[in-house]
Amino acid sequence: MANLLWLQGGACSGNTMSFLNAEEPSACDLVTDFGINILWHPSLGMELGNDLQQILKDCVSGKIKLDIFVFEGTVVNAPDGTGTWNRFAGRPMKEWVKELSAAADFVVAIGDCATWGGIPATAPNPTDSVGLQFLKKNIGGALGKTFKAKSGLPVINIPGCPAHPDWVTQILVAVATGRAGDLTLDEYQRPKTFFQSFTQTGCTRNMHFAYKVSTTQFGQRNGCLFYDLGCRGPMTHSPCNRILWNRQSSKTRAGMPCLGCTEPEFPFHDLMPGTVFKTQTVMGVPKELPLGVDKSSYIKYTGAAKAATPKWAEEDMFVV
Amino acid sequence: MREESDKELLDRIAKMLDGGLKTMTEPFPEDNFQFDVIVRELAHIKKDDVEKKLVVSGYLNHPIEEMRCMECMYYLNHRKWCNLPEIDLPAEPDWWCRLWRI
Repeated sequence: MANLLWLQGGACSGNTMSFLNAEEPSACDLVTDFGINILWHPSLGMELGNDLQQILKDCVSGKIKLDIFVFEGTVVNAPDGTGTWNRFAGRPMKEWVKELSAAADFVVAIGDCATWGGIPATAPNPTDSVGLQFLKKNIGGALGKTFKAKSGLPVINIPGCPAHPDWVTQILVAVATGRAGDLTLDEYQRPKTFFQSFTQTGCTRNMHFAYKVSTTQFGQRNGCLFYDLGCRGPMTHSPCNRILWNRQSSKTRAGMPCLGCTEPEFPFHDLMPGTVFKTQTVMGVPKELPLGVDKSSYIKYTGAAKAATPKWAEEDMFVV
Repeated sequence: MREESDKELLDRIAKMLDGGLKTMTEPFPEDNFQFDVIVRELAHIKKDDVEKKLVVSGYLNHPIEEMRCMECMYYLNHRKWCNLPEIDLPAEPDWWCRLWRI
């Protein structure tokens, strides 16, 4: 039996909504099949007021063993570093976060806000928000650069806006069943099993990417979304086209450009007008190229690819 | 009335350019914001006003340095067509316009 406590800071509850839609395994499977005891969750917990406060205090003191502490949302520091804009169970949430993290065997940050600050931490960051162990790309965050949970692992970051529900439940199962040693984390403390490949991996538009055929308007099923509509699939680490959303589809499959929401810089360009759903260019060349590709190679490859483009790639293949 | 075929339209455009039609080749958009300004201007031109579209987009019947339609992201090589919705006109692979993108 592994005790799990889930709290929310500066959050929209999107990751909770996502979590409750998990299928492989489902949120119920965590309890019935994998021995996870959910001590409290903002949408599932029955306790209120003093009863809830007592659970939190018992976790901090060790009276209740806290195996997994899950945090969703940013850690709010405003105003003036006090964190009182986000009070919870009688005190600033940031104080609970620090004490519960120190008491837990594993600390898991769910979603962009908890991992690196996400949208709330976008300039001018009025709530002085940070993630648990990062603020955007900078390590530190609320718990500090050197933080390690009792298990010896730093915060396990599962980013996304929201995170895919099955990324969440599968990592929780791994931790709860004693397989945390199998997890390897990347430089941003994301489990590599999910965040080594790209959003583009498995994208149904890869043929059009290869032949440099661009989607020029929303709703077109032909063409690649990278060239004109700002898709970040070739630069974003996520399994969105391997582990499909609702087991059905993904943003790019549905004709929606990837926004890069599993990367620490999300939302990119501080959401300035003209930067969303628009490929940023300099003298006709994309400012950001597929990861690992330099400008000169990109230009040469484009010439060769366009020359090799077959006729069918220019036509609408989705005729029915 | 019979509609003009792609080939006939291409020939008509070639004649206009060969005949010395002056188009706005400058400024070349340095970034996507400047690009969007030109695209917005094009979007207001009537679809059948071919000459105005050529002028605003800066159509040329020759390449500029290494930039030519053939490598442009919006160009459909087999159809010989600029697929940027605001242009939507035929072009030869060795032509150029200031909305060139790769």
